[in-house]
Amino acid sequence: MGVDIIIKIAAVGILTAVVGQILKHTGKDEIAMLTTLAGLVVALMMVLDMISSLFETVKTMFNL
Amino acid sequence: MEIIKIAGVALITCIAALLVKQIKPEIAIFVSICGGIVILFLCVNYLTEILGVFNFVVEKTGLNAKLFNLILKIIGVGYITEFSANICNDSGQSSLSDKILLAGKIIIFSMSIPIIKTIIEIIAGLLP
Repeated sequence: MGVDIIIKIAAVGILTAVVGQILKHTGKDEIAMLTTLAGLVVALMMVLDMISSLFETVKTMFNL
Repeated sequence: MEIIKIAGVALITCIAALLVKQIKPEIAIFVSICGGIVILFLCVNYLTEILGVFNFVVEKTGLNAKLFNLILKIIGVGYITEFSANICNDSGQSSLSDKILLAGKIIIFSMSIPIIKTIIEIIAGLLP
């Protein structure tokens, strides 16, 4: 629970962008779009379990 | 010295979000959300201590524990509303964040009706 999760997500974003650019330039536009979506989904998954653990903590702490 | 760590995490989040914003704007929002969550987790154990002290005070003074639990619930709901409203504001959806704030206010008001009832009963009891 530190800085690593933030840098991991940023890295996923940059990686998807780079891979998308490369695929676009080699002419494979559909695959580029798919890799962008895949990168987005990966980042979303990481953020989702962070948010779920936050809501779990808030729920247990304030006994909601 | 926890505050220095928190400031460090906040700075790194800002820089990462700015960096990713130019390349891929959608992921920038994820970075800022995760930065906020990490900062919150850093100060969770302080919050549990404070809540422990409050519980101790409530038990000692014989206050109505149900009311205190309700107040805690309201604080929790208020915090989650504010958290999601700020995220919507960050991502540019100001109308969405106003709607979440309105919903949060309505929920908090509906949760605080028992408190209002108790207050009225107490006042009625005081009057001759």
